[in-house]
Amino acid sequence: MAGKSATAPTTYSPSPSQRKQKPIFKDVDWVRPDGRGFHQCRPAFLRTGAVNAASGSAYAEFGNTKVIVSVFGPRESKKAMMYSDIGRLNCNVSYTTFSTSVRGQGSDHKEFSAMLHKALEGAILLESFPKTTVDVFALVLESGGSDLPVVISCASLALADAGIMMFDLVTSVSVSSLGSNLVIDPITEEESCQDGSLMITSMPSRNEVTQLTLTGEWSTPKIHEAMELCLEACSKLGKIMRSCLKEAASASQE
Amino acid sequence: MGPRDGGGIGDLAGEMEVDAFRLLFPLRFYERHLLESIRPDARPLGTARDTSVALGAVGSADGSALAKIGHTTMLAAIKMEVMIPSSESPDEGCVAIEFHMPPICSPLVRPGRPAVAAPVISKQLSDVILSSQMINLKELSLITGKAAWMVYLDIYCLDADGSLFDAALLSAVAAFSNLCIPAVSVNEDGRVIASSGENREGKTMKELLNKEKRKLTLSCIPFSLTCILHKKYILADPTAEEESIMETLVTVVLDSSTRLISLYKPGGPFLAYTSVVQDCIALTSRRVKELQKIISEAISDMEAD
Repeated sequence: MAGKSATAPTTYSPSPSQRKQKPIFKDVDWVRPDGRGFHQCRPAFLRTGAVNAASGSAYAEFGNTKVIVSVFGPRESKKAMMYSDIGRLNCNVSYTTFSTSVRGQGSDHKEFSAMLHKALEGAILLESFPKTTVDVFALVLESGGSDLPVVISCASLALADAGIMMFDLVTSVSVSSLGSNLVIDPITEEESCQDGSLMITSMPSRNEVTQLTLTGEWSTPKIHEAMELCLEACSKLGKIMRSCLKEAASASQE
Repeated sequence: MGPRDGGGIGDLAGEMEVDAFRLLFPLRFYERHLLESIRPDARPLGTARDTSVALGAVGSADGSALAKIGHTTMLAAIKMEVMIPSSESPDEGCVAIEFHMPPICSPLVRPGRPAVAAPVISKQLSDVILSSQMINLKELSLITGKAAWMVYLDIYCLDADGSLFDAALLSAVAAFSNLCIPAVSVNEDGRVIASSGENREGKTMKELLNKEKRKLTLSCIPFSLTCILHKKYILADPTAEEESIMETLVTVVLDSSTRLISLYKPGGPFLAYTSVVQDCIALTSRRVKELQKIISEAISDMEAD
């Protein structure tokens, strides 16, 4: 039988992943690889109730980025946890081995797990489930760029599906700065050659920001412009998510 | 999430009482159903849940499939890489199968603590797929002794509701039927690279190995059915709830010409008589026909697109 002895480090992918990026992004007029306008988001597909075994779940598909989030609980905290008056939120983000073009390890993404926790924490009424834990687990089935914003938005939809009390839905959108242009909802190719990125996580109906990350080189007016773009897209995404929840609720009543 | 389908019982008053009875006395709840030859989800004992297969679900993979049996959902994807074949079998490729249970699939799986069932099912799947000779490993050879395909098959359980092995095997088989071996060629350094349309005329090319994308020929496709043995009853295709209450499981794997590939009964409180094992095999051979139909429909749907 073909054993496992011949596996792992000796194999390589035949498709060249390190293909040199063409500098088209720096030109004055260029078209995004998927033909979108600079300020146009990818078409979003959202659906709740993807995983029956979970208390609540959601599936989100933004272009090639495909994510499933399951919510479990509120349930008993780990034995080692100290007593707590308020509920705990536990987040985990992991990738499948086939999510990227070259086969990966499919391990946990610690940074995204922490970011997801920070993005959601402020929106959840932790007082409503004292002594217990709500687990939010995300699996990125396919990574096509803007993974973290999609995970965050999908997670808040799953929390709503699980009936966890929140101040508002949490929506997240990112913008990449490429030369003199700002492109919203970037795909992997755009992210790999960006000069800077800005991600906003907001609660659209309260007009509050729960998380803002800024990397790279930015000028102040550009930050303003990017924030405006993100917030506007966040509120649009909020409407889409709300209608998705309404649809699911009216379907279950029938 | 509370149990929702409580159909089929008339003698217990009120929906709430049924739910409470189900949670407090699960075994008695089930036995009352079994007396009537019915299950709480309105299935007869020997019937499997609705099954569906969708091919090509993952864009970044060379072959993929999504299989659903009831609520149990499996996503299988194949990535092809190149390796140097071992000296014992210089003209054969290799298949590595891994089964994952990410924490999203079940409340019992926590991050950092992998599920116990996952490596067991992983091993069972590779044993079944490799010993069934569904894949001819010689077809995975590129240059004898120098290069061959390493097939990485990863199966993710997205929703765990019983009969995980059956769903995983179905998704694996479907992913193989969807697999397209990429067209490759050898460059000057002796490395195998993908030959896409644009560099086909490139001068660095020495020889074209796979002129065109091609499919694997699959022979003797394995299909399986898991049954629960409980007293004199045999329950086909159990849900997670049934598996947790009645613990004796038998998994039968047959190939498309109904030859027995594997029979797996990992202990359990009930001992199986040979007649019961024969009944399980008969149920499985009926199920194989259903699954064959589902797979071939999925393939023809895919080709129609």
